[in-house]
Amino acid sequence: MADLDQISEMLQKGKAKEVERLVGEALVEGLNVKEILEKGLIAGMGIIGEKFKNNQVYVPEVLIAARAMNKGMTILEPAMVKAGVEPLGTVVIGTVSGDLHDIGKNLVCMMFKGAGFKVVDLGTDVSPEKFAAAAKENRACLVGLSALLTTTMPAMKDCVDLLKTQGGVKVIIGGAPVTQAYADEIGANGYSPDAASAVELGKKLIGAA
Amino acid sequence: METGRDVVLDALNHRQPSKVPVDFGGTSCSGMHCSVVAALRDHFGLEKRVVKIHEPFQMLGYIEEDLRQAMGVDATIAMPLSTMFGDDVAGDWKEWKTWWGQTVLIPSGMRVAATDDGGFVAYPQGDTLVPPCAKMPATGYFFDAVIRQEGFDEDELDPTDNTEEFTVLGESDLARIAAAAKAARDSGLAVVAGLPGTAFGDIAFVPGMSLKKPKGVRDVAEWYMSIAARPEFVHKVFDRQCEVAMENLKLLKARVGDNYDVVFVCGTDFGTQISTFCSLDALEELYLPYYGKINRWIHENTSWKTFKHSCGAIEPFIESLVGVGFDVLNPVQCSATGMDPRLLKDKYGSRLTFWGGGIDTQKTLPFGKPEEVRAQVLERCRIFNENGGFVFNAIHNVQAMTPTANMAALLDAITEFNTAGK
Repeated sequence: MADLDQISEMLQKGKAKEVERLVGEALVEGLNVKEILEKGLIAGMGIIGEKFKNNQVYVPEVLIAARAMNKGMTILEPAMVKAGVEPLGTVVIGTVSGDLHDIGKNLVCMMFKGAGFKVVDLGTDVSPEKFAAAAKENRACLVGLSALLTTTMPAMKDCVDLLKTQGGVKVIIGGAPVTQAYADEIGANGYSPDAASAVELGKKLIGAA
Repeated sequence: METGRDVVLDALNHRQPSKVPVDFGGTSCSGMHCSVVAALRDHFGLEKRVVKIHEPFQMLGYIEEDLRQAMGVDATIAMPLSTMFGDDVAGDWKEWKTWWGQTVLIPSGMRVAATDDGGFVAYPQGDTLVPPCAKMPATGYFFDAVIRQEGFDEDELDPTDNTEEFTVLGESDLARIAAAAKAARDSGLAVVAGLPGTAFGDIAFVPGMSLKKPKGVRDVAEWYMSIAARPEFVHKVFDRQCEVAMENLKLLKARVGDNYDVVFVCGTDFGTQISTFCSLDALEELYLPYYGKINRWIHENTSWKTFKHSCGAIEPFIESLVGVGFDVLNPVQCSATGMDPRLLKDKYGSRLTFWGGGIDTQKTLPFGKPEEVRAQVLERCRIFNENGGFVFNAIHNVQAMTPTANMAALLDAITEFNTAGK
């Protein structure tokens, strides 16, 4: 019989093929789709996120765990649609104009996915207009802005200003030179120093914590 | 008369230098964006010259002798053979106008093309018949790698695909390296040189920007995953890389001799803003054996000091880096978790030279007021310069569009520190 704890365990170890197999078996055995998602995949990524925050695992381990989660999600997603399992919310994420760095942004995407959000990844060098359009189109509850460079941080303010005119969406920011003080200065709803905390912050902001 | 080299050597040998040694431009991690170089030339009223970009990836401007003198710089770079994109820097130079309106000089072989979205792309070895290797976005001041990752079969990964760029130096290259070292030595400044092929897993090099058709693991995330998921593969890559590097070290020593003072061994970043990038176990298992081998040979056979660059919160790794023979640490990111200047100096100051740590380039230098810059520079000099073991440098390259008033405040503060009490 499929073991949801084992899915979580294999995910934490980054064993993508195992996660894919176990999720497939769980579905064949008729386990509840939401339970597979929550007690298997989300539980596993939650532990990885917590360990990442506490410096018990590092970027390479998070990346392989996320890859394993993606494998599992590929199998699970059609069943989720069929069963009408709704995401926790939609978050639009991207690296701001002029900046092509994406490792940090990708980690944040993975953590949000791993927490049960629908993630719309806009990639890098994203204009304020593109953020605003994507937030509207996807009815996003959250927008995450990333910047690695001091020269691209000002683009975050442009995004925040434009997104504020749309209303209804919370904006969180992050990246190496970014601070809480800068978030306050530009009127962002929050700042997070790492990918796992970004999810906690996002959940809090949308009242899902 | 005391030279720039003398004060740097004092610092490196943990003797109290007569002034704070200063580096700007000695390495590709301690330079200045071309826009700042141009602004400082104007600030000092120097002859109008188009700034030469010797390192286009980060758009670093070459700091010529007149500017070095005006800034009180004590170290210089031994010019490498080529850029990160594989363009020869020994030939002619040509003008290129950036989107922010600055005309710069780039190697004549370098090919830059405008893209439909307003940005620019650069090509490996200037070859426009293959896909571009780097991109500068429409509002960006730097290039970044274009990932050219071909599909691969996990079970068929061949380590030699990831070592194509590491080759034993030929006679003509060695002759040019020796000439560059001699020219740098004649400056009277401390000479810093990059070593070919000793950057184990440096993420800036992993995408293989200088290669026309890179093979193997070239995607940044895929490489990071390799550290956790394919350690045997990484070892095989590093083994081959180290073998070639050891061969080159012997050739370099024979041709360059004592014309190098400091060698930039590796720029692999082990820290994020708040933590290390990998575990201490991974550092010890995957990287230290190679660092140890390289550093040991250098110390047994040359007078060169070994330089390790790593951004971020790497305090938990410093003891290990000292243990495998690194003499110099850069850029000493004091804003990262655990990287307190006083703690670092007290704990490692007698064994390690801090080449950096002088000013925060994430906040204070680009966004602070001149008086904040002054205060931080004075504080860092007070802490780090005690008994040598310090070469002043900003924490990594001075970023584009840094206010000239802040750069002037930085340089004035160093002078103020040096003259205080004299």
